Amino acid sequence: MTQRGPWRLRRVSVLLAAPAVGALTLTGCGGSESGGEAGGSAAAADGFTFTFENASGGESPWQLLADEYTAATGVEIETQGLPPDSYGLTVRTQLQGGNASDLMMFSPGAGNSNAVMPLAEAGYIEPLGESSTELIPEGNEDLFVLDGKTYAQPTDLVPVGMVWNAGAATEAGVEVPGDFDAMIEACKAVGEGKSLFALAGSVPQNAGLMTMSISATRVYAEDPDWNSKRAEGSVSFADSKGWQDTLQTVVDMNEAGCFQDGAAGGGFDAITQGLTQGSALGAFVPGAAATELAKATPGAKFEVEPFPAPTGADPYMFASPNYALAVNAKAEPGAKQAAIDFLAWAAQPENSRTFTELQGGVAITGPDENLAPVYAPVADLLEAGDYSPLPLLSWPNPGVYDALSTGVQGLLTGQGDIPSALAAVDAAWDQ
Amino acid sequence: MTATIRKGPVVGEGSSAAGGGAVSRSRRARPLITYGRWWWALPAIAMVALVHYAATAGGAVYAFTDWTGIGDFDFIGLDNFRRIFDDPKLIGSLKNTLFLAFGFLVLTNVVGLCLALALNRTLKSRYLLRVLFFMPVVLSPLAVSYVWKFIFDFKGPLNGVLGWVGMEPRTWLADPTLALWAVLLVMAWQTTGMVMVIFLAGLATVPIEIEEAAAIDGAGTWRRFRHITIPSIRPSIAIASTLMLIQGLRVFDQVMALTGGGPAGATETLATQVYKQTFALSNFGFGAALALLLTLIMLVFSVLQQVATRDRSQGA
Repeated sequence: MTQRGPWRLRRVSVLLAAPAVGALTLTGCGGSESGGEAGGSAAAADGFTFTFENASGGESPWQLLADEYTAATGVEIETQGLPPDSYGLTVRTQLQGGNASDLMMFSPGAGNSNAVMPLAEAGYIEPLGESSTELIPEGNEDLFVLDGKTYAQPTDLVPVGMVWNAGAATEAGVEVPGDFDAMIEACKAVGEGKSLFALAGSVPQNAGLMTMSISATRVYAEDPDWNSKRAEGSVSFADSKGWQDTLQTVVDMNEAGCFQDGAAGGGFDAITQGLTQGSALGAFVPGAAATELAKATPGAKFEVEPFPAPTGADPYMFASPNYALAVNAKAEPGAKQAAIDFLAWAAQPENSRTFTELQGGVAITGPDENLAPVYAPVADLLEAGDYSPLPLLSWPNPGVYDALSTGVQGLLTGQGDIPSALAAVDAAWDQ
Repeated sequence: MTATIRKGPVVGEGSSAAGGGAVSRSRRARPLITYGRWWWALPAIAMVALVHYAATAGGAVYAFTDWTGIGDFDFIGLDNFRRIFDDPKLIGSLKNTLFLAFGFLVLTNVVGLCLALALNRTLKSRYLLRVLFFMPVVLSPLAVSYVWKFIFDFKGPLNGVLGWVGMEPRTWLADPTLALWAVLLVMAWQTTGMVMVIFLAGLATVPIEIEEAAAIDGAGTWRRFRHITIPSIRPSIAIASTLMLIQGLRVFDQVMALTGGGPAGATETLATQVYKQTFALSNFGFGAALALLLTLIMLVFSVLQQVATRDRSQGA
């Protein structure tokens, strides 16, 4: 037990690294009032196989959920935890080779290599029933539904803003910036040897996630349907004032010294060390990582905050299902039904609540009395519905996010400018 | 090993030269001792052809498709190749690949030859030094790269030394002007020992008597090196340069571990782009086109290099 702290830190490091393969890492399982028609049916005598991402290599919440299901129903589940960096490739290969698991974990939408929708389009995923459809949060339909059929079941909501070390900020005499101008002032005022943010600049996806967080108030607060318009071709990144402002914000932050020294070459260790040691007050990581950081650093107080809006604008943020569970279309009939029964069981409020607590997310139905303390600062935003899905999930291919991330990395190192970075994102979208 | 001995008079090269031309030709057609039969190799040849060449050729077909790694695909002709040459980033990757390959070729061969010459004969501690210089070769390229990543870190020992002498720290691996040189340095540091060993083997074949005779005749160090050593180790030069050129063209591990291709693509090579496009971005067709291009480049440069380093004295 004496090794628990370091172990957790290592786990957090691995968890933070997961966006390198596409998106976010931690997940929970949301509750639903609609689940319950199967509820661990005794008819589900067949066992099934279940593949999921296991970032830390340790105890996985998916495994715990599977164990609980087996204990409750007697149905055997053969699990397979795969490392995140090769997860998408491995599952695709298994699906094409005919040896994929009956139940699989994916990312919603089509925007990264773990995404479920391209697989659904190719006929590898079994359509699901009404109970799964009812779990999809409003505005997230295109991440789970294709041609009127639901292909995956959402599990949780993961808010994405910035993770804030409230304890270290108090010690440094810095309050959560109310708007962007205040944030720039705070960047300049924060003490010697400290920075307002820790950035893993050598990992393009961390720069990308930061850009996502900034775009919430610069692009999507005003126009939540911006992605749809881009898909129609009526707008573009290069011509978007919001996206230009977003990238200009990154440049302004860099010039104001908001990041740690040597941020352009920093890795995820810079984030974990900076946040846990208090040398950085915030970082751009998935909201659920705040829970893990808090567990790894006894006495520290972490919370999730929205990225400061431009002066005079209202706060806004992203929150969307992080993972999606889907059933193999080519599974044996008995195993397929067993997997579908499991999904119905997992959707039941009491089961999803346990899973949400294990993973550190927010219930799929929105904040409730079980909301983790780290989300208290954004509870009002979530309750008011002032959020939209993480944009990259509904982008048409992984190259779009990669182009944005790489372009922002180039802004930090002085290799490019805003127009060329946004033009590259448009080009990736149109591939 | 099976040996077949044919009966008959033994006629050597000497007798052939003495005038036994017809007999000699007959002997060349049917050697006295043969080991096995050519067709014994057929199963192995078939396996190599099937597993290696046929599979590779099959993969090359995807270079002309838009396959995303799952589902159906369409043949799109040369579109993937046009896209490669239209994309400045991919042209940059090609330039980086060539820079690393030729930089690696030159650095490892020059430094390796210098080390081999220094550790060839006279130095008493040469055996220990040979081991020390060769040790990095046996390490995993990834492990070596991660050690160097630590050294190059902003808070790492290299910047610590710079700070000690009053210089500003640098973001070595995040600086677009330095990162590629850092990768080249790590590649060369690890592999120079291998080249040194190849040249040491070559230098062992240089007759010391000829060198001594040349020295007695008044040839200086440079002339002995130029006219005796270099011609004698030409096969070693050919081997070392071929291996280093190919290794440089397909560099992957060091780039991925040190920079991941960054910052903003400044150290991307064709090999890392093949991986990124194929496995991270699910552009299998495009990745196959890049891989095919990389293969062709390696083939062309290997042939050119073989032509450049062949021993022309045998043809004279």
